[in-house]
Formats: sequence, C-alpha cells, structure tokens
Amino acid sequence: MSVSVESGNKSGKKSLNADLNLVPYIDLLTCMVAFLLITAVWTQLARLQAQQKGQGQAGEETPPELQVKIVVLVNQEGFNLVVGQDQTPLPKKGSDYDFERLAAELKKAKESHPDKNDAQVASEDTIKFETLVRTMDTALQARFPDISLIDSGAAGI
Amino acid sequence: MPIEAPKAHLYHSIKLEAASTKLGHGGRKSTNSALNLVAYIDMMTMLVIFLLMSFSASGEILFVQKNITLPDAQNWSDLERAPVIGVTKDVVTLDGRQVATGEDLMKDSATGDMKITELHDELVTAKNNYKLLHPSEDFKGVCIIQSDKVVEFKMLRKVMFSAAAAGYQNVNFAVRPKAKGGAAAPAAE
Repeated sequence: MSVSVESGNKSGKKSLNADLNLVPYIDLLTCMVAFLLITAVWTQLARLQAQQKGQGQAGEETPPELQVKIVVLVNQEGFNLVVGQDQTPLPKKGSDYDFERLAAELKKAKESHPDKNDAQVASEDTIKFETLVRTMDTALQARFPDISLIDSGAAGI
Repeated sequence: MPIEAPKAHLYHSIKLEAASTKLGHGGRKSTNSALNLVAYIDMMTMLVIFLLMSFSASGEILFVQKNITLPDAQNWSDLERAPVIGVTKDVVTLDGRQVATGEDLMKDSATGDMKITELHDELVTAKNNYKLLHPSEDFKGVCIIQSDKVVEFKMLRKVMFSAAAAGYQNVNFAVRPKAKGGAAAPAAE
C-alpha cells in the first residue's frame, strides 16, 4: 500500500509515493481480535432478584398487623391478588394466566399504596417456574422492587 | 526447500506459444507487486468494533447448561458472582456437581423436612470458604438458581429452603433478558 501525494510538478524526478508500514497495525488488530474472541460473552444472561421472606419474618420492622400486605397468590385457577383485606380473583383467560389484568391491578395497588415497595408471590406446588418468573416480572413492572417468593401456605391467606 | 528469486523459467514449461509469448517477458518485468490490504484492514477493524461492543468485563458468570431453558424477563438486572444451583426436572446441581435428583425432590418426605442435605452442606462449605477468603466483607447470602422453565415450584421450594437454611436468603433467578418492547434482547449488550 502506498500513499500518493501530488507534487504538482510533472517534471519532478523524485517520486513522492511513500509506503506506509501497516504491519504493526495489522499485528495489533490481529491480537485484539484473538483476545476479544477468547473473552467474548456469547450468551447474555440476567437475574431476577427474590427473597424468601414470609409474613412476620426477619427484616420486617413494622408489626405484621399494621402492614398492608400485597400478595399475588398463583394457583391452578389463576391469580388471587390480596391487598390488605381485599382479595381480587383473576381467573385464567382460557388456558393462559391473565398477566395483563394482573399488571393493571398491581398498578392500581401501587397507586393506592405508593410507599409500598414489597410484594409477595405465593405459589402452589404445581405451578411452573416460567409462570412464577412472569408473575414476579409483572410485579417488578408495577414498581414493587422487593419481591419475595414464598409457598402459598406461608402467605397466611 | 530454498527460496529463490522468481525467474522467467516458469513460462518455458508452458506449451501454449501464444500464452508463452504474452506472459513470458524474459524477466524484464519487476516481480514485486503491492498487496492491497485495504479490504483486509477494513474487515479486521469491523471485527474489532463488533467484538468490543460484545465485550463484558465481568466475563461469563453462567454457562447455559444442557436441558435448561431459561424463562424470559423484562425487568432484569446484571448477574453477580455467586454459587449457581442448576435445577432441571431430573437433577439438581451446585456449580456443576450433582447434589440431588428430581425424583427425590418430587417425593414427599415422611418427616416433612424439605432440606436437601447434600446441597445444604455444600452451600454451608461455600459460605464458610467465602468468609475465610473475604474476612473484611459482609456475607450477602446470594445464590443463583438456574432453573428450567418447566420445573414445578415444589422442587424449587426445597432448593430455596435448603439455600435459606444454609444462609443464602437472597435468591437470584437466572433469566434470559428481554427488551422492554417485548422482543428478545440482543445477545450482547
């Protein structure tokens, strides 16, 4: 490869073409490609954080009877959203869980209790992990960042 | 084999006279030829840029295990280093070592005890090792559960109970990150 610089002088005897030494640049690129290929992360995975905190367990400073508890009970029939003493059954839509309605109800619960940051997802034994993750994801979407995953028996409903 | 300067003798072996006449210059033409490296450098530069974009300083924390299909989630956060408990329908592993079988976990214990002894013991060992190696840091009690999406909560409950009994109260579920719009996130971010 050469770099050509027009001299403007046609009768000039000395050529102004100069060879650019690209060997170090190619070496650097080759080393970088090798290093990056070795350290590349091809499968990007992430996490959903959950706690195992049941009612009245460590970490809750307010007495349980004074707290407004938000629990999403997941069972074979669908969801049962418990906000304090109010229970809202959200049955399945056909064979699928109604996540859209759950999101809307959780959003309403967040609007009525804006200081509340924790929610519990209580599951029955036969519920699949994918459903639980979607439920927790929906609760996180509704701005409940502290999610606990507990057994439906431990929810105290 | 010694390396020799190119000579015109190559063309003497060609029987085609026309080609011989046209191509054989009797060694008068310079044999030096400039190699066009522009395309090669362009390609390398593009490759470096692409790989730099997919570079992650934290490295690969989780490896996708066989028989595990992770669920998707939109509200995810980045992974951090912690013991990885793999859960499939058939087997439970801790950092790749089998600690229980799915059949054992689906059985109801006669005593009602949900603790998986081997998993609990290994997690306690891991916790003690962490405390020994990081004496100035607080133990956060974080573990990662990498579970297949069809696994039932009954199995997970026992795994989570064992982890909690060993001091790992904060559970991170490994998920496949999904963009907010609903489409799957790109492999690299």
